[in-house]
Amino acid sequence: MKKVTSLSGSKPKWAVLLTAVVMIFMAAQWAAAENRFPKPEFESAYQQPRTTTPDGRGHVFEILDMAVLVLMLILATVFAHRRRSRKALFVLTIVSLLYFGFWRRGCVCPVGSIQNMTLAVFNQSYAVPLTVIVFFSIPILFTLFFGRTFCASVCPLGAVQEFVLLRPATVPFRLSRILGILPVLYLGMAVLAAATGATFLICRFDPFVALFRRSGSFDILLLGLFFIILSTVIGRPYCRFLCPYGVILGWMSKLSRFRVSISPDICVQCRLCENACPYGAISKPVPDDPPESRRTGVRRLRALLIAAPLVIMLMGWSVSLMHPLISRMHYTVRLAEQIVKEETGSTDQTTLESRGFRASGNDPGILIKEAVQIRNRFRTGSWIAGIFFGIVIMGQVLGLSMVRHRNDYEADPQSCFGCGRCFESCPRQHMRKAEK
Amino acid sequence: MKPDEKQPVSRRDFFRDGLRGLAALGVATLSGLLMHRSVSRRTVWQIDPDKCVQCGRCATDCVLDVSAVKCVHAYDVCGYCELCGGYSKPDAHRLDTAAENQLCPSGAIRRQFIEDPYFEYTIDEAKCIGCGKCVKGCGSFGNGSLYLQVRHDRCLQCNDCAIARNCAGEAFRRVPADRPYLLKGEQGL
Amino acid sequence: MNDHISRRMTTFILITASVILGFYGFSLLRERAGRNTNPYAYDLEPFRRSDSANVLYSETGFIDFSGQVLTALCADPGHGLIVAAGSKMFRVDTINRISEWIPADEPVRCLAVDPERRVYLGYEKSVGVYSPDGSRLDTWQQFSENAILAGIAAGRDVYVADAGNRVIYRMNREGRMLASIGEKDPVKKIPGFVIPGSCFDIQISADGSLWAVNPGRHKLEHYSPDGDLIASWGHPSMRLEGFSGCCNPTYFALTPEGNIVTSEKGLERIKVYSPDGELRDAVALPGQFDEGTVGLDLAAGPEGRIFVMDPSRARIRIFEKGERE
Ligand code: SF4
Ligand code: SF4
Ligand code: SF4
Repeated sequence: MKKVTSLSGSKPKWAVLLTAVVMIFMAAQWAAAENRFPKPEFESAYQQPRTTTPDGRGHVFEILDMAVLVLMLILATVFAHRRRSRKALFVLTIVSLLYFGFWRRGCVCPVGSIQNMTLAVFNQSYAVPLTVIVFFSIPILFTLFFGRTFCASVCPLGAVQEFVLLRPATVPFRLSRILGILPVLYLGMAVLAAATGATFLICRFDPFVALFRRSGSFDILLLGLFFIILSTVIGRPYCRFLCPYGVILGWMSKLSRFRVSISPDICVQCRLCENACPYGAISKPVPDDPPESRRTGVRRLRALLIAAPLVIMLMGWSVSLMHPLISRMHYTVRLAEQIVKEETGSTDQTTLESRGFRASGNDPGILIKEAVQIRNRFRTGSWIAGIFFGIVIMGQVLGLSMVRHRNDYEADPQSCFGCGRCFESCPRQHMRKAEK
Repeated sequence: MKPDEKQPVSRRDFFRDGLRGLAALGVATLSGLLMHRSVSRRTVWQIDPDKCVQCGRCATDCVLDVSAVKCVHAYDVCGYCELCGGYSKPDAHRLDTAAENQLCPSGAIRRQFIEDPYFEYTIDEAKCIGCGKCVKGCGSFGNGSLYLQVRHDRCLQCNDCAIARNCAGEAFRRVPADRPYLLKGEQGL
Repeated sequence: MNDHISRRMTTFILITASVILGFYGFSLLRERAGRNTNPYAYDLEPFRRSDSANVLYSETGFIDFSGQVLTALCADPGHGLIVAAGSKMFRVDTINRISEWIPADEPVRCLAVDPERRVYLGYEKSVGVYSPDGSRLDTWQQFSENAILAGIAAGRDVYVADAGNRVIYRMNREGRMLASIGEKDPVKKIPGFVIPGSCFDIQISADGSLWAVNPGRHKLEHYSPDGDLIASWGHPSMRLEGFSGCCNPTYFALTPEGNIVTSEKGLERIKVYSPDGELRDAVALPGQFDEGTVGLDLAAGPEGRIFVMDPSRARIRIFEKGERE
């Protein structure tokens, strides 16, 4: 087809740019003009309805949520530290399941709030709701002083698993330590995804929330069912081997001022509590004289300290290698990849997304530039995440290699959920009761 | 450890106290800083009707069994046409209310004669599944007075809206809770 | 613990863990099957892909207005075209060269040229009258508050179509209102205009009678200068012979032979009808336009040429009968 004539010959770049700006401005004007149309004039008494705008739940509920959270935390703390009553804790668990779980449908929960906080830190235009801030920080503060009493009976996710645990089997110690790395990886990935604005992984893969809502996509319902069945034989699999908030709480709990104790006064070394904990949180006494000589210990420590930076950098590097894959969590990156594929002709299959993008009439060039930027952010982010993983893993190894002298049976604050099962198994508890 | 065995504050305890103080301070500071821009701007999910491309995911992806997204009608933008691109199938044989001529897969649109030549179209939200078919029909031929909105009386306000993450028009965004709708027509101004 | 049980436990847990992790990774990265089609698609494709066998016209060229948002078009018989892009005016001569013309006061919504080549620019609520060389002769502002002028046609008298009031005014060249045409009148059997969108095009035929589009009723209506309805035709249909959607046709033009060229939105089609409403030819079918193009204003040129203003591609496209490339 021959082009007859053209208005815009060859123009300098700035002129093209200017034209583009003017065009956008005019397009807006034109669109406005196009929208002007005559309204029907009704002769009958017809009243034109207005679009209704029903409100969501009001502020009241949010304040109630926060109040209930604080109240339950206080109760859980009292029950675990003072009353030392498994029964009371269990009742509280059921309350949490009903209120935060089925009534408030599991949203918002402290676990997910990590992402909102992260997003808010990295995205100035995102405002976190007050509830989310409270749900994030109050359990942490409680844990800093009283251990993981939040997990004991306030967390609805913990409650589900606590509730269905029938025949706890012991997870071998080493294995549980290795699997214990998973929550750290999950935390790192979730923070990375939230910081880059890609997605909220924790909410997306929350296995129990679909249960609380009694609706959800099929695969998530399936996942939830799977977890529930698993929870009958393995104590709190989600809490121990996935929950990212549990990682934070575990660390905070290590610093806690007051600790949940098996026996608050004396341990008579009766070993009755040894198998009472379904979560493997009870540490056995460690004899005073370590089997190995001090010299080997020091040598190993030195080797580990030298290896640490290497391992950490290696982790950083290897995770950063995966950033193209990881960055596909972001919608824009996925879309840009598809558009590039279509433009270069390496696929003739369009997707709903790419068709939607074309319908919007936006510039693919800008999209691709944006995607490249996001991907670069992912590269930095995955370096940081990798280094973080490295540090945590090395920390674990160091911790394992340093044998610490321990006299009595103690609950490890990092992994103790404060469920109170061991209280009853301790003969001292009964004696104290009798003394009263 | 025996309770009567009074121990001096060990180095480890001291270290722990310090760290705990730091951690508490950190969490408090972070919360305080973020709180600064939170209270006034609570947000909810909403659809920008200008961006929506009617990809159908509003009907398929919401975590609710029947989506919280519904079609709404900006009456003041509507032409009250007899032949409504949003109401009738493109190949409808007759302009009547017979089910086989209706575009809406769930029969959620009510058509009512007002006066010659005007017809009013109303959405029955209990039936609407938010598929956006009518929105596309109305937009192609008419004024675009039908459009999709998240209805806040139904929406759970998921922290991570399942539709938002797959919305092919990238039309979902968080809007201030005190202005929770993005309306068309005069109400939107 | 018993070593044997411990090993079984380890295996069990490892398998479980890999199942869960696999699920997470898989569901994060996979392209879900069937996610690529919209089960609720509103599908116009079958209609857009209508048979092109009986299209005897082809596009023989275009006039490039890149960077402009085209808003109105009319023929200036013997001299080419006049084109409005918002409040910028252009002239196109007979060999399709563009030159910038006068600046208009505000965005031009419609325009017309009378036999003496005076130019009438329709703004939202007023009309500007200009001499052929571009000097202002008059501005008419006697339209009502809720007027939205959408069509203008100039012969011995000037007709102005007001979409806001759904009426056509007949005015003399000095701007005096002579009559209102097309208001609903059961006695004169005039149905009244239904204007659901913003289109309300009118044209004057060689014999001085008036053609108007009644988009809400999918009809073209033929009026005498006194406002009697002479004839009307057209019916709603997605099929080629009818007018699609809820407010079509959008624009039309009269050819020198007296035929009527129409344009539609939604299903972008250009067709030629005889004055009594018989479909003669299809000029262009939806596949030849960007989906969602609106504002296809038309002008008929000499030698059967049809000019189609395409705002989406910012060009005026030229269609001619017979000649295919
Ligand atoms: S998902 Fe987005 S584009 Fe698709 S119908 Fe809903 S709002 Fe529109
Ligand atoms: S066509 Fe779809 S969006 Fe429109 S009313 Fe029916 S169910 Fe709702
Ligand atoms: S926030 Fe949840 S309930 Fe609301 S529209 Fe999105 S997926 Fe549906």
